[in-house]
Amino acid sequence: MTAMRVDAKVVMLGKESVGKTSLVERYVHHRFLVGPYQNTIGAAFVAKPTHVGDKVITLGIWDTAGSERYEAMSRIYYRGARAAIVCYDLTDSSSFQRARFWVKELQNCEEHCKIYLCGTKTDLIEADRAARQVDYHDVQDFADEIGAQHFETSSKTGNNVDELFQKVAEDYNSSSFEVMPGEMSFIQKMKNLRLPHVALRLH
Amino acid sequence: MAADVDRQLWESTNGSLSIEPVCSDRADSPAPGLVSGTEPGAGQETAMFAHTESFEDLTADTEGAGLEPQEREASLQEGRGEDEEEPREECAVIGRQQQEGGREGGVRDKDKDEDVTSDAWRAHRKHVFVLSEAGKPIYSRYGSEEALSSTMGVMMALVSFVQSGDNTIRSIQGDGYRVVFLRRSPLVLVGVSRGSQSAGQLLRELQYVYLGIVSLLSATQLQRVFAHRQSYDLRRLLSGSEHLTGSLLRLLERDPGPLLSAVACLPLPGPARDRVSACLRQARAPPLTFSLLLAGTRLVSLVRRRDLHLHHLDLHLLANMAASCSAFREAEGWTPVCLPKLNAAGFFHAHVSFPLPGTPLCLLLLSTEREAFFELSACKQRFLELLHKRNALLGLQEALSCPTYSVALVGVPELRHFVYKSRSSGLYTSPELEGPYSSDEEQERLMCLYQQLHSRLHHPTRPLSSIYHTTHTHNLYAKVTSGFELYLCFSALGTKAIAEAAVSKLLKWIRKEEDRLFILNPLTY
Repeated sequence: MTAMRVDAKVVMLGKESVGKTSLVERYVHHRFLVGPYQNTIGAAFVAKPTHVGDKVITLGIWDTAGSERYEAMSRIYYRGARAAIVCYDLTDSSSFQRARFWVKELQNCEEHCKIYLCGTKTDLIEADRAARQVDYHDVQDFADEIGAQHFETSSKTGNNVDELFQKVAEDYNSSSFEVMPGEMSFIQKMKNLRLPHVALRLH
Repeated sequence: MAADVDRQLWESTNGSLSIEPVCSDRADSPAPGLVSGTEPGAGQETAMFAHTESFEDLTADTEGAGLEPQEREASLQEGRGEDEEEPREECAVIGRQQQEGGREGGVRDKDKDEDVTSDAWRAHRKHVFVLSEAGKPIYSRYGSEEALSSTMGVMMALVSFVQSGDNTIRSIQGDGYRVVFLRRSPLVLVGVSRGSQSAGQLLRELQYVYLGIVSLLSATQLQRVFAHRQSYDLRRLLSGSEHLTGSLLRLLERDPGPLLSAVACLPLPGPARDRVSACLRQARAPPLTFSLLLAGTRLVSLVRRRDLHLHHLDLHLLANMAASCSAFREAEGWTPVCLPKLNAAGFFHAHVSFPLPGTPLCLLLLSTEREAFFELSACKQRFLELLHKRNALLGLQEALSCPTYSVALVGVPELRHFVYKSRSSGLYTSPELEGPYSSDEEQERLMCLYQQLHSRLHHPTRPLSSIYHTTHTHNLYAKVTSGFELYLCFSALGTKAIAEAAVSKLLKWIRKEEDRLFILNPLTY
């Protein structure tokens, strides 16, 4: 697996501890790790090939840290992304406020990036209905308003996780036929955007 | 920003220190009076680390505590006081001193819900608090910070009160407790310990916690947020780092590395290590400044840019960070990290990966370019391919499956454990903690004994060159020369004569094994 050959850049965004890493872990490795919660530091990248019809599309997934500390860095993770999975915890209404922040950020900076709103931890809702703090219909209305897709998932049971990423891959596949003129590949963009580099040469 | 960082990096490297050991003859039976650079484990070329002395470094920082940021920057680079001094303006309230031998294991992981008024909370062996100069809680090892805001308010009041008399509070001692204060503007760190830890040791731990925070934010950002608003709640920026601080504190209690200012190596036969290092060097890319291969906290290989030296403290922080994030295990991590000893002002960008699934092998590629992820990812790929091509993988995997060795190999029956540090290379070696030391509690107890010996050897006013210490369960012997530092732990049956004979036997054994236990041929790009 070379990290280089990536078709679509996908970025995971959302408040810390909503379960972004678990979602990626479930999708890529089909498992759910139980254990003490560990915050992601910076960001983690993983490439995952997936089938769409008879084609193979490789998603390059950037799992970003939710902490505010890395906010200044987040631009480099979502720049040029084709899809953003904005996660919120269904049992934590403040995490949805944070999701709105990311949506605004994306709308301002990455207009070509498709947004997928993803409510996590449905297993907790199933165990106790009263635990739900974010209403399904409110989010659906918000999704319609911003033209986003909306999913509710559980990384623990695997509910809806594959469907979410499959949708991302399919949407990429159907949109890549209508390539915008002058569009560059992500890596080209990265190269063009590289800051002029100073000093630090080998002796 | 990137350019800025680069510039500062240059400035800081100009002041960096490198030790070039003279390496003429490597005697088979080294005498204790060895010249630095010829002791077992000494590197054959240049030293790998920026600084390999042991205690002076910490004090150099303590001295700089009251300085302004810019001045402190300077003192970090230049000022390495030769003599380590006891806090000069000490405000120590000496009360009833009640040594406590017994210790509870206690809850290890931070429990936010823990009741801070309960006896269980009070019974923790060591508390660590971080607060801002405005008295706002930032971190507590146990219990929630909110519940402790009044306690932290009292701590800040103590600091300010002593400060108002143009003095500095260093420690308070009494009733079996020791309270140590470390002021690192804009932060104040407080350690509270029950037991026999010296103030110097506690201070070292607080220093690590402080630098751990700097490694996440950089000193520049830390100064900036508080300059902007004194009452800033730093927990916003540090959220999620509590488990990093927690694991750092556990590392400090368990690992002799931070105590000795040294790094342990993964035992690996010399030729195998050289092959791995060569692969690592060949897989380089222009933006790289350091390539590190670690197994837990043990160093497998380090390749660095010729003009840059990594500090052991930065390495401990990096190892702690890499091990504390599960997202890195299966994916490739990319994170900004500040190496406070190399350059507290800017960020490096670290590519973190665990290239051999199921093993603790961790590859860290450090660069100053924040867009270099894919370039470094390709480096990692190249490194793995080279390992395969040159058949270096098998030796490495074997070494990873047995990362330690038994003390019985030395052939001294009474010897239970030892720690040996080569001072010129900044590397140390230590056998597995086995037998009576298999439990965490006993391991910490042994570390505590080593700490006590260490603080006696490096006593600020009366340093010792060797010390023999007997308790009803142990016989301990420690020795320091210009070349090495050695701590030995014998069973209760040991005697001083056995200990002295064991030193030369052990040195011979280490000399014989040195190419496996140490990195003798450090590489640069």
